Amino acid sequence: MRRTVDVWNRHLRQVLVIACAAVLATSLFAPAQSVGAERSSAGSPTAATPSVSAPVTVSRVETEHLVARLIAESAAVVPGGNVELALVFDIRPGWHTYWRNPGDSGEPPKIDWQLPAGVRAGPIRWPYPELIRVGPLANYGYSGRAVHLVRLSVAEDWPLGEPIELLADATWLVCEEHCIPEEGRFHLRLMVSAAGDASAGPQGTDDEKRLRRARLFADARAAMPAAGRIAARLERQDQRLRLRVPAAALPPEPTSVRFFAGHWGLIEHAAPQSWQLQDGQLEMDLASGAAADATPPTGLLVVDARNGTRALQIDATANVLSGAPSGVSEPMPEQTLAMQGQRSGPARGAAEPLGLPVALVFALVGGLVLNLMPCVFPVLAIKALALAQQGEMALRQRALHGAAYTAGVLTLFGCIALVLLALRAGGAALGWGFQLQSPVFVVLMGYLFLTLGLGLSGAVTLGIGLTRVGGSSPQHGHLGAFATGALAALVAAPCTAPFMGAAVGYAVVQPWPVALTVVLTLGLGMALPLAALMLSPALARQLPRPGPWMEHLKQFLAFPMFATAAWLLWVLSQQAGSAGVGAALAGAVLLALGLRLLELTRAWAVRWRWLGRGGFAASLAVALWLAVGLAAIEGGASNRTDTVENPQQAGLAAEPFSAKRLGAARAAERPVFVNMTAAWCITCLVNERVALTRPAVVSAFTERDMLYLKGDWTNRDAAITEYLAGYGRNGVPLYVYYPARGEPRVLPQVLSESVVLDALQQ
Amino acid sequence: MTRLTILASKLLSVRNAGTWLVALILIATSAPTLAKPEVGAPAPDFSGVDSEGQTWTLDELEGQRVILEWTNHDCPYVQKHYQTGNMQALQREAIAAGYLWLSVISSAPGKQGHVGAEKANELTETRNAAPTAVLLDAEGTIGRAYGARTTPHLFVIDEDGTLVYMGGIDDRPTSDPADVAGAENYVRAAMAELAAGGSVSRPVTRPYGCSVKY
Repeated sequence: MRRTVDVWNRHLRQVLVIACAAVLATSLFAPAQSVGAERSSAGSPTAATPSVSAPVTVSRVETEHLVARLIAESAAVVPGGNVELALVFDIRPGWHTYWRNPGDSGEPPKIDWQLPAGVRAGPIRWPYPELIRVGPLANYGYSGRAVHLVRLSVAEDWPLGEPIELLADATWLVCEEHCIPEEGRFHLRLMVSAAGDASAGPQGTDDEKRLRRARLFADARAAMPAAGRIAARLERQDQRLRLRVPAAALPPEPTSVRFFAGHWGLIEHAAPQSWQLQDGQLEMDLASGAAADATPPTGLLVVDARNGTRALQIDATANVLSGAPSGVSEPMPEQTLAMQGQRSGPARGAAEPLGLPVALVFALVGGLVLNLMPCVFPVLAIKALALAQQGEMALRQRALHGAAYTAGVLTLFGCIALVLLALRAGGAALGWGFQLQSPVFVVLMGYLFLTLGLGLSGAVTLGIGLTRVGGSSPQHGHLGAFATGALAALVAAPCTAPFMGAAVGYAVVQPWPVALTVVLTLGLGMALPLAALMLSPALARQLPRPGPWMEHLKQFLAFPMFATAAWLLWVLSQQAGSAGVGAALAGAVLLALGLRLLELTRAWAVRWRWLGRGGFAASLAVALWLAVGLAAIEGGASNRTDTVENPQQAGLAAEPFSAKRLGAARAAERPVFVNMTAAWCITCLVNERVALTRPAVVSAFTERDMLYLKGDWTNRDAAITEYLAGYGRNGVPLYVYYPARGEPRVLPQVLSESVVLDALQQ
Repeated sequence: MTRLTILASKLLSVRNAGTWLVALILIATSAPTLAKPEVGAPAPDFSGVDSEGQTWTLDELEGQRVILEWTNHDCPYVQKHYQTGNMQALQREAIAAGYLWLSVISSAPGKQGHVGAEKANELTETRNAAPTAVLLDAEGTIGRAYGARTTPHLFVIDEDGTLVYMGGIDDRPTSDPADVAGAENYVRAAMAELAAGGSVSRPVTRPYGCSVKY
């Protein structure tokens, strides 16, 4: 530190530095705000079809106990296309209808279709039911509204312009405590148009009606069980059944869980069900039904969690566990295709593709490469410089130094791994980099980088051992080395290096000693280059000679630190919105003020130093309080559906990832590119910048009519965690290309234009 | 302060997820739960009064085959089998084969299907039914002992007092009378197998119908 510098000069420099960081932050934050803009609901009705008969898209039957409607999602269909129909019951309060397994009594609705040749109706797809208790009995069914979806498919050679007339005779049982069988006949007429404008609303429908209809279908789809079946175990003990489901398949923090048997006889429907999360599994204790041995062990798990209710399809036929949904659900044929890519692996456990030795090698290599990642490199560059400065240490000193550094890296990796494993055991759907899914953690990291930047730029003196990044005195060296190691590991989280993804993905589904070994190997790989540098004088001698240029470089390296802080603020803007960014910026200013006070009073007489310390402590406390306050915002923003999108990437219109969308496109033999990303994943953002948004890639996508699905893992998202697990992964990025026909291909984690183009060519 | 409370609750919820979580979901129902009879085991003993005032106790019926039929004359699924004459025919067949046929009405007072003795007899007469007796189980004691879920729900007990069949009347779980013809009648099949000296090949089937109105 150059003590001779004029005080005013330093003041000026500090102001500049902070202003710079603030400008960076706001400029990065500004485009992010436009992301939240609401998608406007789609356009105007298309020109009326010159047809003598108008389409009929709703058919209504009213009984004493419910209003039944058969509704088509769209009025027109393309030859060879599909149209979704819904049989909707609006049920009188106190009455209910039934699920496909009605439970102890009752009967599910039935639809008898009368369709012209060339038109086929699929099976009823059922939203998840509720448990309806009737005295000591229990039914599975619906109250309020029940929506039964049926997909209608039209032959490719259906003549254009000829409307499809369809008749449906439905029967259903509606019960209060007593039951009334009812029936209705429904008639629809759908247009067949070449334009394939299936979104065209029925003539004369106003926007509000169309919106209501869109919402009805959207709600029904939201209440469908998640795509794919989760392999589970079912053990029969006496009169009890023990159902085990991998906790990773559940949404995080479940508050209630209920198993709905798919068929009569498996369980006592009315019996209490107890559940617990243990060792990464959900264990349920169920009362076995009258024909438990002879009944297919399938059903739905309806889970209430913080983010709402989700239904999962459970299949214990194979009696094995797997975290990822696999295989096929009979009533939803389009899912067959969506899940094809996962079928080979996860059915026998997601870990199959990678053995322990390979995982260890991958982890080691991944750790090595991690050193070159943009998050880690500045920290290490500074450390390397510090090493050069203290070149002439004894071997023992150097060995201790290297060991301390390695220990620092390993300790932090170990901690992260243990916390991750513990939380997963508790059922949270988390993955690598999970700590960055917490806004509080992101802000604290931002503070840390700001402090480091200020220290490097010389605005403040960081004398405390723990933050002594460029520590020059050998006495503090070991602690400093340990701290550097820990810091490097801490900042590494957002950067996924090649090989790492597969290794970590393997690790998290293993028993904890194996998982820990893999993660520590990763840490070892990361610590290796710098430790080697410390141990080998020959290598150290290769470093440039120390000189005044080092101070300049150090000050220059403050800027990657500020850039990182600014980037973290941008991540925060995705997680906690402008209120969160505001709080974080206020905290950052306070922190800078506190550090400045500390610095100012450092030179004062001892009896006045408390002023600086007190001021620093106070501002730090307020900054921390502001950061921790973000916990309240956490999750508030987690229901966002928009993806991380940059306005400049308009060339590639991405749709938010959904398994359903993927399945539909696969069924239509449309190629799909899935990009799993997160705002805090630098590797992901770099990949998008250098590969996915390049004109050649964009035009290749456009040529192929590629559906580009983007999953945003910035906040916790069980569906994405599930999808990642299906590919043996536990973190982003993940890129999967689904050709129109054939097996999906997983792309490397570091992309280039040619890597993507080659993958598409194959 | 509210922030701190929110934080505290947040931490608690995170802790919850992290620690082993045990939750027991209890039903808040005062009604006693149903028993679970098993085929191959002695049928649950019962004692009930019929519409003529006579008491029937299973223990005292040793050496006789018994069929229990849960019924509720207002239930569409029961009506399906009485309006088509299906149930009456089955009752006559059973009695001719030496069975005692006990129809059981477990509907609680005030609920659908609850009848007094007089009405029960009238129903037997107007529907031309042929049960040995109609047990009035307004308290649901017999129903709960057998875990009777639906009307109709049928149980077959052999001469040793062993439960040999429980379940639905047939394989068409609808209320449509047209489905009676062509259905496989499980009770008839069980009687035939027992008459042939064998055992019941499908001893447990899904009972279907209205819930028993306990």
